[in-house]
Amino acid sequence: MTDVLERKEKKKRSAIGNARPIAHYSLAVWLILLATIVVPLLYGIYLSFQNYKLASVIPPSFVGFENYLHAFSASETWSTLQITVILMLLGMAVQIPLGVGLALILHQNLKGTRFFRSVLIMPMLLTPVAVGLIFRFMFDTDLGVINWAIQELGLPKVNWLGAQTTALIAIVIVESWQSIPFVMLLVLAALAGLSKSYFEAALIDGATRIQTFFKITLPLIAPTLFVIVMIKIMDFLKLFDTIFILTRGGPGNDSTTLGLWTYKTGFLFLEMSRASALGVIILVLTMPVYFLWRRASQQARS
Amino acid sequence: MRKFKFLRGLSLLAAGSLLLVACGSGASDTATEDTSGSTSESTTSEAGAGGEINVFLIPSPSSTSIQSFIPAFEAETGIKVNVSETPYGEAHQKQLLSYNQKAGAYDIAQFDNTFLAPFCQAEAMLALDDYIAGSAEYDINDFSAGQQDYGKCNGETLGLTLSTEPMIQWYRTDIYEELGLTPAKTWDEYYSNAKAVQDAGYGGQIMGFGPNVSWWWMTLVWSFGGELYDSDLNPAVNSAEAVAATEYLKSLIDVSPDGAITATGDDTTSKFLGEDIGAMLNYSGYYGMALDPEINKNAGKFATAPQPMGAVDTTHLAGWNIGIPADAPNPDAAWQFLEFVLGKSNSVAYLESGAAAIGRQSIINNTDLQVDNPYLPQLEIPASSRIERYPQLAVWPEMEVAIIDSVTQVMTGAASAQSALDELNEKLVPILAAEPR
Repeated sequence: MTDVLERKEKKKRSAIGNARPIAHYSLAVWLILLATIVVPLLYGIYLSFQNYKLASVIPPSFVGFENYLHAFSASETWSTLQITVILMLLGMAVQIPLGVGLALILHQNLKGTRFFRSVLIMPMLLTPVAVGLIFRFMFDTDLGVINWAIQELGLPKVNWLGAQTTALIAIVIVESWQSIPFVMLLVLAALAGLSKSYFEAALIDGATRIQTFFKITLPLIAPTLFVIVMIKIMDFLKLFDTIFILTRGGPGNDSTTLGLWTYKTGFLFLEMSRASALGVIILVLTMPVYFLWRRASQQARS
Repeated sequence: MRKFKFLRGLSLLAAGSLLLVACGSGASDTATEDTSGSTSESTTSEAGAGGEINVFLIPSPSSTSIQSFIPAFEAETGIKVNVSETPYGEAHQKQLLSYNQKAGAYDIAQFDNTFLAPFCQAEAMLALDDYIAGSAEYDINDFSAGQQDYGKCNGETLGLTLSTEPMIQWYRTDIYEELGLTPAKTWDEYYSNAKAVQDAGYGGQIMGFGPNVSWWWMTLVWSFGGELYDSDLNPAVNSAEAVAATEYLKSLIDVSPDGAITATGDDTTSKFLGEDIGAMLNYSGYYGMALDPEINKNAGKFATAPQPMGAVDTTHLAGWNIGIPADAPNPDAAWQFLEFVLGKSNSVAYLESGAAAIGRQSIINNTDLQVDNPYLPQLEIPASSRIERYPQLAVWPEMEVAIIDSVTQVMTGAASAQSALDELNEKLVPILAAEPR
């Protein structure tokens, strides 16, 4: 009996002893997270209730919800949010079907699959700024390769970045070019995890490929697709670099997203508190998506 | 066990680094402060016998030229010069943050004239009038009366002129000669020239109808006799003159290359220098690009002329300023450096080092310099011409974004000039009301 108690006590001491160093080791990480995420976040929220302007000698003071009221009453907030949503919907409508399609093709393990998989992942490895710059030249009305190809086909030149519709299409093309590999990889991983028995049973029952896809594959990868949708929503809510390089939010503000408008408010208009309020609004919009994403991730894992 | 020791060491190192960063952030000097990838430092070493100054520059031909004078200045005065360069997009914001904190990080700072008003509101810069008045070397009287005020805000000179860049007319001599055209003196002539050039199979003319459309729009509004706002800061952008100017600007799209609709200031210049386009209206400061043989495929085939005349004789003047921040630790040494680089003695060497010209009379009228810089006479702004600068308002950046948005609606055909400008006028009311008085 004494032995048993001693063994339990030893085990307990050992567990506590192991936990302490782990806590010590992770302290630096927690401090870094605190300094780089929690403190700026809380400071941003604090700023959103002040009237801090970079070009002013008047010390900032508490203004309550004034910046939020300004944000909600400004037409730009709503128009840029609308553009964000349009880009989000267009982007997902392109990226998810194409990503799933490519994943299905690569999942067949045809000849050259490994090569194509490597090639298709490459856009994901490039920085959005470099991609934006390259595409900016490609979309140039007079000198761009895209208009050259269009003209070779006997069609008229398109003023890609000079009108709202074509500018939004151009952004979706660039963003999709970079993001489709990400969707493809996640779906490919999901497909690899599916049991072959479902498909064998379907084959025996005489199901066509289309029936197999819609009745078996799609429902089985649905949790992964849901995770992808959540990630893409968050991606589009914070989309900045591609648009900044490609169109600078133009023509006018016609391709300015809420994120870009927040940047302009803070760093162009020097209205730091108004920009902080817009940042908090984006955060609030992202939170439900984040919680849904977490739940979906757990479901996908289980 | 060894593994745990390693991890513990690593954690301590990380925590230590964090602590060092936290402790060091407030005390760092300019030479060590700018650690972001976007900022570069060209000179970092121990203080010279005469002390040291920290110079904040924005990458440009002017900043490159300034740096070329540092070795000679250091040798002559014993004052060590440290330079940090920050790209335009974040330069003014970074300066304002520094000035708000009274960090005393910089002794000299380059800034765009568009930020003169925000800097003035933030009481960021030292008034240089006493220094200027006492300096025969700087010789303010070498500037025409209109240009002496270029760095002034509320009657005080907060920045010296670092470049003088009026909006001027550029034209292709070979195309104009072929078609028997002469540089336009009026806006009607400018359009008819562009039409004639376009009919001959070239690009008629180019202006930037893209993200910088406000530059050209303002130029035309002022030239057509309009104003952006009245003396009480009530917006006046929907006046008959402003509407006519906007409609004229839109009409020029028909005689411009297709890509002009999205062109920035740089794009506009690149297109003019690299393609066959008859004329361009742009700031003289872009002449540096014209000297680059990689961009300029039409070297020797273009000339410059004054901006065409509208109902009112106006000159849209832009360019860099440079000044001494109010919290500069060593303002006297800073002035010594400014006087050395921008004074009369070195003014020729300054231009020859590749900088955009400063509108000193002694430079503008120097016929030797005009050989390589034929645009210099355009910097001579007649006394009869009203000089218009970017609006000296702290809210100007917000105002400009609203202007660009509305004018773009007209340029893309989404709205008529009258309706877009009526809407803009309404939008500018609260923006201008927020201007500190």
